[in-house]
Amino acid sequence: MRKLWNLIRGKRMEDELERELRYHLERRVADLRESGLSEPEAHRQAAVEFGGVTQVQEEVRDTWVWCWLRDLRQDLRFSRRILSAHPGFTATAVLSLALGIGANTAIFSFMDSILLRSLPVGDPESLVRFAWRTRQDEVHGMNRHDDSYLDAKTGYTGGFFAYPAFELFQRNSALFSSVIGYQGAGDLNLSVAGQAEVAKTEYVAGDYFRGLGVAPAAGRLIGSDDDRGGAPRVAVISFALSERRFGGRAGRAGQPVLINNLPFTVIGVAPPGFFGVDPAMAPDLYVPMHTQGLWEPSARGPAAGGRFIDPDFDWVDMMARLRSGVTLERAQAVLDPQFAEFERTVTKVRSRDDLASPIVLDGARGLDGLRRTYSKPLYVLLALVGLILAIACANVANLLLARAASRRREIAVRLSMGAGRVRVVRQLLTESVMLATMGGGLGVGLAVWSIRGITLLLGLHADLNWRVLAAAAALSIGTGILLGLAPALQATRVDLAPALKESRSGDRRTRAGLSRALAVAQIGFTLLILVATGLFARTLSNLESIELGFNRENVLTFGINAAQAGHRAPEIATFYEDLRTQFAAIPGVRSASLSQIPLLGEGRYMTMVGVPGAKPKGSLIMNVGADFFSTMAIPILLGRGIDERDRADAAMTAVVNRTLAKEWFGDQNPVGRRLTVSDCPKCEIEVVGLCGDARYGRLKEQFPPTAYFSFAQWPVEGMTYEMRTAGNPLGYAPAVREILHRADGRIPMADVRTQRSLIDGLINREIAFARLCTAFALLALGIACVGLYGTMSYNVARRTGEIGVRIALGAQRWMSRGWCCGKRCCWSRQESGSASSFFWRTRALRQA
Amino acid sequence: MIGSSRFPIPQGTLDMLVLQILSLGPAHGYGIAQHLQQLSREAVQPNQGSLYPALHRLEQKGWLKSEWRSSETGREAKFYSVTRTGGKQLAAEKQSWDRLATAVQLIFDEGR
Repeated sequence: MRKLWNLIRGKRMEDELERELRYHLERRVADLRESGLSEPEAHRQAAVEFGGVTQVQEEVRDTWVWCWLRDLRQDLRFSRRILSAHPGFTATAVLSLALGIGANTAIFSFMDSILLRSLPVGDPESLVRFAWRTRQDEVHGMNRHDDSYLDAKTGYTGGFFAYPAFELFQRNSALFSSVIGYQGAGDLNLSVAGQAEVAKTEYVAGDYFRGLGVAPAAGRLIGSDDDRGGAPRVAVISFALSERRFGGRAGRAGQPVLINNLPFTVIGVAPPGFFGVDPAMAPDLYVPMHTQGLWEPSARGPAAGGRFIDPDFDWVDMMARLRSGVTLERAQAVLDPQFAEFERTVTKVRSRDDLASPIVLDGARGLDGLRRTYSKPLYVLLALVGLILAIACANVANLLLARAASRRREIAVRLSMGAGRVRVVRQLLTESVMLATMGGGLGVGLAVWSIRGITLLLGLHADLNWRVLAAAAALSIGTGILLGLAPALQATRVDLAPALKESRSGDRRTRAGLSRALAVAQIGFTLLILVATGLFARTLSNLESIELGFNRENVLTFGINAAQAGHRAPEIATFYEDLRTQFAAIPGVRSASLSQIPLLGEGRYMTMVGVPGAKPKGSLIMNVGADFFSTMAIPILLGRGIDERDRADAAMTAVVNRTLAKEWFGDQNPVGRRLTVSDCPKCEIEVVGLCGDARYGRLKEQFPPTAYFSFAQWPVEGMTYEMRTAGNPLGYAPAVREILHRADGRIPMADVRTQRSLIDGLINREIAFARLCTAFALLALGIACVGLYGTMSYNVARRTGEIGVRIALGAQRWMSRGWCCGKRCCWSRQESGSASSFFWRTRALRQA
Repeated sequence: MIGSSRFPIPQGTLDMLVLQILSLGPAHGYGIAQHLQQLSREAVQPNQGSLYPALHRLEQKGWLKSEWRSSETGREAKFYSVTRTGGKQLAAEKQSWDRLATAVQLIFDEGR
């Protein structure tokens, strides 16, 4: 340390050196003059005697730097020699550390990108986002991603607003410099030069890019003029898509593309690293919000285009940028009365005594859906990898400890030959820091590799960044110093004489306790991780065996959207029904039906359902075709299911599930009773059947109250077909495509899946975490085994001589084997056991 | 060689001599140079400048320590003195020198 300090305060040392040399020369000159030389003669004589002043200065400076560097180089070279002389030890230690540090770096990268990082936009601190809150579960419109949730304490929080509410917020230009509206559009069909692919798409309002402060990588971004009815159809693509499909810079802007078979023009490219406002979404394609009416009129909501004026249909996700000087509280205070007025006077379906109140939240990190979903599992994972690092450290500590013991003699020799204690400690420290650095380097490599793996597994996005790298470096160097220090200090606090006399085996008594504690801790940690893994696996198996209320096996699902190809009501319902009968007639197909969306895998529709004369409550709704219940194997308990009779011109009918029937009719027979639905206040709907409870939209909640309606009696857009088949469902896709092509060649068959794979998609995260945990548990087990083996084999190797003596004295080979194994098995008895055996043997020897 | 009154001294030996001189009491560089000359009756006369790298090297090793104080002429000079480790080192070197010298002497005596 002092030498380092020398380097730093170099200037002062230079000055002092100069003074020192000048003093010498002047004294010499003075002395020479006293002895009778003339002034110039004295100067000359003194200079000759002294030699070159500059050269002396150089040499002195060299001693300052070189002493330090030389020591360092010696330390490094010696460490390298020591480490390569024990390749087994080095490999074990480096590998343990690498695995520990690698796992930590990988998980920390994810934490960093999900929990800590801000949105990749200009000045994220001034962004706010909005939500609303009611006391009970009440949704009108979309509930597309996990943005809305029910909390027992705070009530129901929703993130989507009606378009008129969006306009209301926009009018507050004193608070906000811009209000940013957007909505996920899901996967759209993007076709570039005849090649089609699925692109994750985001609807964005005109102010989106300007408001977020994002600059284009090429061309221009969507502006206010692009987002209005009748504007030219334009799109912005992500940087990744541009690189992938358009091969870099050439010809990106102005490129004609087809989106869902409609011509669009690419006007620009979003900057690299921009993932929208939700780290989970990362869209490939951005289109103006008003293009939405082109292919996605809501099936149940108001007619296409109407959702831009309907105050009761919540679908716009919003953020805003605060003007400078405006605080969150101020914005909240201004918006409260405005939004209350809006809710009271403009909205119609929300219950009057439970109107939504707005919440203004900090928006710098984007949406918190991802954070809410992943933060707890990530903390669990971080705890797991922390334990793994602890196991790895215990490994290395144990190895270093065992080695320090065996090196006592060497150190004693070096101390007795005059090496400074600090010098020896420093050398040992260099060794362990070198180990840690090697482990850290390899660990970062492993991390890069495992980040890729986890990205594939979880579908999350993370990069190894400098912060993460710094954390890994600090972790590895810190580990090195920590591990190096204890054995180093212990090793140099040696009473030289006995240590020198000591045999090669070293004294084991003193270190047995610590080494044992480390090993026990290792085994304990490993057990803990194994238990955690068991819990994750258990959760997964619980989820997989959850009671669905329908049969998931052998069901093919696919989407067909005839509305996009120009079919209109009432013909469209007949078209869909005709297709259904044709699909049902395919050999091997037991039955076929259709519904708005699959039961599980694509979210759910909610609205207010009630009986005449009572306040309606939120329930799930689903429009289905004939044979839906038999196809999905949902039991009809009373009455009948939806069938061919429930045409558009027939009386409106509904089938309710057991939960909904219980909620409204108690134990009475619901068949023949009336229902009201907020989407169609004047409609009289007759309940014609009661069906069993079935999962819809989500796996993990209570069975929700659900009403099923005939799709023909409601506005129809795209539909999902379900086919129960004999054998592998995907094998029937070609036959379906054939029939569809004959019926109308313009309509593609979309999202060909099985109901089973859709459900697996829902529990993706649980599957991924269970797999990750299993991987970590194996890792921990591996590291612990390697460590225990390493320490043990090192100990045994060091005592080969002793074992040889035992055998020479008459111990059988199996006895020494048993001695080694027994030591590992009942570690706690090692000391007493071997001590007594030694006692016994020495007595026998003496007697002999 | 016999005729020459001066011969170059190996580096290690210079270190030892410096330590020996300083063990008698603190001194500055010029003083050490003078002292060396007197002690060795002019037989050992290093280039005076080469004394300073040796002094700094010994200081870096922690065998010497230094401080600035006024010298006999009243001017500020850098005074060196031996540290505890330096003392030990000197003792060890003296011992090994003695052993070496005795051994060499024995061999010479035998050849006589």
